[in-house]
Amino acid sequence: MRDPAELLTAAADGDRSAWDELESRFGPRMWAVARACGLSTADAADAVQGAWLRLLQHFGSIRDPSAVGGWLVTTVRREALLIHRKESAGLSLAQVPEEPDPAAAVLEADGRRRLWETVSGLHEPCRTLIRLIASDLGNQQMAARLGMPSGSIGPTKARCLEKLRTLISLQETAQ
Amino acid sequence: MINDEYFLAALRLASGNDPIPIQVSASARDAYRLRIPQAVTAARTESAAIRSVREDDSSHLVRFVAAGLTFDLEVTEGDGLIDVAGHISPYPGEGALVDVRSPHMTLTRRIAHTGHFVATGLPPGWLSVVCHRPGHAPIQTTWVRIRP
Repeated sequence: MRDPAELLTAAADGDRSAWDELESRFGPRMWAVARACGLSTADAADAVQGAWLRLLQHFGSIRDPSAVGGWLVTTVRREALLIHRKESAGLSLAQVPEEPDPAAAVLEADGRRRLWETVSGLHEPCRTLIRLIASDLGNQQMAARLGMPSGSIGPTKARCLEKLRTLISLQETAQ
Repeated sequence: MINDEYFLAALRLASGNDPIPIQVSASARDAYRLRIPQAVTAARTESAAIRSVREDDSSHLVRFVAAGLTFDLEVTEGDGLIDVAGHISPYPGEGALVDVRSPHMTLTRRIAHTGHFVATGLPPGWLSVVCHRPGHAPIQTTWVRIRP
């Protein structure tokens, strides 16, 4: 299996299979980021497409080719946030990131596994609630599943995410 | 500190409930044919250059600059389609052509001696213009997203 830097170089040199491999490796993360920014499926598709189009124009200017995955998810996040804000009446003004956002590492396989393990270690209702958030359920459906009043879902969600974030940050500090 | 979006994205990925749609993957792969080897990319100039030129916000001006050429595009949305009225200065010379591109359609136009060109009926979404000049590397604008 070729590493990301090799794939990027090969795609820049005209190797279509390398481009396809980049897509299969990073496309799912990019989609998840766009959707996590609150975009509809149509807008998320635009954000993902936009990031790939920017990569086509920046093959030669990516400072760390081995971090192209981080660059792509950082780019799609910027596109997604701009689309979400409907900036400039539809004209996306996203600047291409020069460096990937280090926080994007949570999307790497190791980061995801650690995150999920941490979720499994949470107490209820946070453990179930965070799994339901990941499943895209609305507050009312979550309330029904958890047997909680729907008005308390929002504050509980914020508290659980904050707890998870703190645990992950502590793990990062310990490493 | 991890951004909420990355955090939620990692959870969504792990849950496997919202996989990337096949057509989104297919579009990304298909975009590779839009690669232009050796092209120079014209960056968008400061956002002050982008403004609505009609009261109803249906038309916008956007400027790109590279390699001594300035692209001014007036993009108009109407009836679900996009029209582009462009101007390249200085005049790029005899034999120069522009491609007005969306991921699904490319319209090729000659450039008038005044530097003007027009392309109509493009689908909404991502848009880029490429100027081909004999004896020079092509110049492509960065992609902009146009949606009504």
